[in-house]
Amino acid sequence: MRKNKLAIFCFVTSAALAQPPVAPSPTSASTTENDRGNYNIVNNFELGYRFHTVGGSQNQYRSTVNYGNGIRLLSGNMLMNSKDGKGHLFDQLSLTTLGLGRDPYESSVLRVEKNGLYRYDVSWRQNNYFNPGLVTDGGVSFHLTDTQYGMQDHNFILFPQAKYKFFLGYTGSAQQGPAYSQEFGRAGIQLMDVRRRWNEYRVGSELQILGIRLNWMRGWEDFKEDNGFTAAPGGVPGFPATANANLRGLTKADPVHGTNPYWRVALFQDFGKWFSWNGRFTYTSGRRAFALDETFLTAAGANITTTRAVNFGNAQRPVATGNLNLVFAPIAKLNIVNSTAVYNARTQGDSTFAQLSPGTPTRIFSYNYLGVRTLSNDTTVNYQLVKKIGVFAGYHYSDRYINSSESGATNTKAQQTNILNATNFGVRLRPITALTVQLSAEIGRSNRPFAPVIPRNYNTLNGRVQYKAHNLQLVATANSDYGNNPISIVTYSSHSRRYAFDGSWTPRAWFSLDGGYSKMHLNTAGGIAYRATPPAGTLITGEQSLYFSNLHTVYGGIRFVVKDRVEIYAGLTRVQDTGDGRATAAGLPIGSPRAVFDVVQTFPLTFASPSARVSLKINHRMRWNAGYQYYGYRQEFNRNPDLGYRANTGYTSLSFAF
Amino acid sequence: MSKFSGLLFCAVMVLFTSSASAQAAKSQAASPTTTPLVASGKPSGKYLGSTACKSCHQEIFDPFYKNAHNKSVVSGKEPPERTGCEGCHGPGEGHIESFGGPGTIISFPKLSKQQVLDRCLTCHNQTLSRANIRRSSHTVNDVVCTNCHSIHHAATPQKLLAKNQTQLCEGCHLNVKAQFSMPFKHRVNEGFMNCTDCHNPHGTFQATWANGARPRHVDNSKANEEPCMNCHADKRGPFVFEHSPVRVDGCMSCHVPHGSANSRLLTRPVVFTLCLECHNGAGNLGRQGDGVKVQAAAPHNMANPVYQGCVNCHIKIHGSNSEQKYFR
Repeated sequence: MRKNKLAIFCFVTSAALAQPPVAPSPTSASTTENDRGNYNIVNNFELGYRFHTVGGSQNQYRSTVNYGNGIRLLSGNMLMNSKDGKGHLFDQLSLTTLGLGRDPYESSVLRVEKNGLYRYDVSWRQNNYFNPGLVTDGGVSFHLTDTQYGMQDHNFILFPQAKYKFFLGYTGSAQQGPAYSQEFGRAGIQLMDVRRRWNEYRVGSELQILGIRLNWMRGWEDFKEDNGFTAAPGGVPGFPATANANLRGLTKADPVHGTNPYWRVALFQDFGKWFSWNGRFTYTSGRRAFALDETFLTAAGANITTTRAVNFGNAQRPVATGNLNLVFAPIAKLNIVNSTAVYNARTQGDSTFAQLSPGTPTRIFSYNYLGVRTLSNDTTVNYQLVKKIGVFAGYHYSDRYINSSESGATNTKAQQTNILNATNFGVRLRPITALTVQLSAEIGRSNRPFAPVIPRNYNTLNGRVQYKAHNLQLVATANSDYGNNPISIVTYSSHSRRYAFDGSWTPRAWFSLDGGYSKMHLNTAGGIAYRATPPAGTLITGEQSLYFSNLHTVYGGIRFVVKDRVEIYAGLTRVQDTGDGRATAAGLPIGSPRAVFDVVQTFPLTFASPSARVSLKINHRMRWNAGYQYYGYRQEFNRNPDLGYRANTGYTSLSFAF
Repeated sequence: MSKFSGLLFCAVMVLFTSSASAQAAKSQAASPTTTPLVASGKPSGKYLGSTACKSCHQEIFDPFYKNAHNKSVVSGKEPPERTGCEGCHGPGEGHIESFGGPGTIISFPKLSKQQVLDRCLTCHNQTLSRANIRRSSHTVNDVVCTNCHSIHHAATPQKLLAKNQTQLCEGCHLNVKAQFSMPFKHRVNEGFMNCTDCHNPHGTFQATWANGARPRHVDNSKANEEPCMNCHADKRGPFVFEHSPVRVDGCMSCHVPHGSANSRLLTRPVVFTLCLECHNGAGNLGRQGDGVKVQAAAPHNMANPVYQGCVNCHIKIHGSNSEQKYFR
C-alpha cells in the first residue's frame, strides 16, 4: 500500500508542470538504499544522449529552447544520512545535479550539514544564453548576444539550531560574451567583448536579546565590467558602409568598477498567536567608478584625423530603507496587520568629459540628480465570521516624493509628489472541507503617477475556487486588472483579464491525468507623439498606440504504468496568441492611419510543444528511457525576418541506482 | 520635537514588548505542557518519548532519522514537548492507553489552518525568513505549512516539500504556470531557476521600489532592492544618467517577470511602441514634472524600420555613465 502511495505521488508530481522538458526523466531507477557504516546512501543518476534538428530560424530556437546534441549527465541525486545523527564530519550530504556536460541550463546544488554544528549550502549554475534580437528592426538586429552566464552561491551557518547563529556567505556571477556599445557621435553599433563579474560577500549573525531576535548582516558587493574593442581592418561590423569607408582605426575601452557595501539589521519577536512584530533597516552605499577611452582615426581625402574622447567619473547612490510590521490577534477570529515602509534613495556624483579633437573644448557634465523618498503604510483586518466564512479588508497609503535635476543645455530641476490611496477587501468561503472559494477586490487612486503607463485609477478583481479531494484536484481562477491614466494628451488605459482552469486526477496508482487551460487577455491604448517623414522631423500628435493580445494556453499530460515495468507519458503544451482576430497584418485604421502602427497592434503567434516519453525498468537498479519533444514556433504574420522554427528534440538515457 | 517623538516611540515599544513578553511567559506558565491543543478534545497524559510510537507507526519511525525534525531528537537538549513525535502531536499517553483512539492525539488534518500555523511556529518562529509569515498573503488566504510541506512523505529531502518546488507553486498559481509556458521565460520549468530565487513563500517585507507595490512574496535582494538585481547586476548602477522609470517604478515598467510572448520579456512585441507610450510629451508626468520628452526633431523617423528599434541606438537603456541619451 505504501508503495502504491509513493507511486501515486510520483505520477501526480511528474505530470503537473506546464511545459517540462522531456528530459531528464522524472522517475529514478530505484529508491534502493545502501548502508555503509553509519551512513545510509541513496544514489541515482541518469546518463544519456540528446539530439535535435531544427528547421527555420536557428537563432530563435537557440533563444527559446537551446538544447543541443551530445552526451549529458541529465540528472544526478545523492543523499547520505548518518543513521544515529552523530556522524564524524557530517550528518547529511545531498548533491543534486542537472544537465551537466553542456546543456544550456546546468546546475548543481550541494548541502553538507552536521547536526547542531554547521550547515553549508552551495549552488552553482551556468546558462548559455542567446538572444537574436527584436523583430522590427528591418532584419538587421544588432541585439545579438551569445553569452555564458555563471553563478554560484555559498551559505555557511555555524550553530544552525542554536539561539546564536553565525552566517558567512558568498554569491558571485560572471558573464562573458559579446555585448554592444556605440561610438560617440556616430551611427552604428559595435559588438564588444564584455567580461562582467559580480561578487557579494556577507557576514552576520542572529541572536536573542530580552526575548527579541536580532539578525544583522554586513555585505560587500563588488561589480566590475571590463571590455575592449579594436576595429578589424575591414571596419566595424554593423557600421554603415560610408562610415567604414572613412574609418582607419578605432580602439575603445569602457571599464566600470564599483561597490555596494550594505548593512541590514532586523528585529523580530513572536508572542504566539496574539502578537508578533518585526522591523528591518538597511543602508546601502552604492558607488560606481567608470572611464571611457575611445580613439578613432578617420580619413578625409589624404588627411587622417585623430579624435579621442575621454570620459570618467564616479556615481553614487546611497539607499536607506526601513520596515516595521505589527500583527495583532486579540481574539482567535481576528487578525490585524499594520505595515510601514520607508525608502530613501539619492543618485548623485560627478563626471568629466573631454573630446580631444581639433577645435573641441573639454566639457564637464554634472550628474543628473534623482532622489526618491517613499513612505507607505498598509493596514489589513482579517476576521473569521464563522468556521466556513472569513472576510478581510485593508487600506494602503503611499506617499512618494521625487526630486530630480537634469543636466545638459538647460539644467532642469523638478519636484513631484505622488500619493496613492488604495483599499482592498475579500471573502473566503469553505462550504465543505475540500472546497475553498476566495474572492477579493482592490481599488486604487493615485494623484500623479510618474509615467503615463502607470495607472492613476485602477481596480482589480480576483476569484479562486479550489476543490481538493483524495485523488482529484480542481482549481479555477479569474482575475481582472483595469487601469487608466487620464493625462493631458489622451488617456492611457489598460485592461487585463485572466482565466485559468487546472485539474489533476489520479484514480489508480498506474494512471494519472493532468491538464489545464488559461486565457490571458490584454488591451491597452495610449496617446503617442512621434516624428515621421516627410517632411523631415514632422511631429505627429493626437494618435494612439493600441495593443491587443489574447493568449490561450492549453496543456495536458497522461501517464500510465504497465505491469510495474513500462512507464509511458504523453503531454502537450500549446500557446496561441490570437491577437485581435485580424487575418492579415494590416488592420483597421484605428489609433493611427500609418500602416507601421497597424502591424504592431497585435502579435499573433503559436508555440506548441508535444512530447512523449517511455521508461523501461531493466532491473531494480537500472532503467532505460527515451523521449521525444517537438517545438514549433510561428509568428502568424510572417514578419521579416521570419523567426519561426520547427525543432525535433529527443534523448535516450540510462538511469542507474547504486 | 522629532527627537522627542522618536524617544517616546521607543519607550512605548519597549514597554509594550516587555509587557507582551511578560504576558506570553505568564500564559506559557499557566498552560501545563501536558495539555496541548487537540482539535477534537483535550488530550491528557504524559510525554512518553518517540520510541513508544514505534510499535504502531514503524513505517514512520524507521526512516525518521532522515527527517530534518530528527535533529531535535539527536541533540538531546530539547524538552519533550519540543522534540520527536510528541513535539508536534502532543503527549502520547492517552493515545496509547486508548489504543490509538481518535481525538486522543493532535492530528494535523483535523486542525484548523490557524492551529496548524501556530503549532509549527511554536518552534519555527525563530528565523528572519519566516518573520512575516503571520501577515503573508498565503496565511491570509488559509495556505499554511501543511499545504506545501509533507513532514512524513516529503518529495524533497531539504525543506520537506510535498512536491518539487515548481510543481508545488504552479499547482495553485495557474496564471504563472501558463506564463512559464511562453516562448520567452525565465528558465524555471527547465530546472535552472526556482520560484524561491525571487519569492519567499513565508512572507516578505513591504516592497519599496514602486509606489503602492504589494509584497506578493517577492523577496528583496540582501540590500533591499528588487530581486532582479541578484542576477542582473549590470543593471543595478548607480549610473550617471539613470533611466528614471527603472529606479522609480522598477523593472516591471517595461518587463513581465515570469514569461512572455515577447522577446526579452517585454510588455510589447516591438520596442518602439513601448517607448512611445511614455515618451509622448504628456503633461504632469515624468521627472521634470512637465511631461516625458518627445523625440528630438532629427534624426527620428518612425516610418523607417531602423528608428523603430529605439534600443538600436539607445543601447544603454537601463542607464548610462557616458551619454545622457543612453547611447553608450
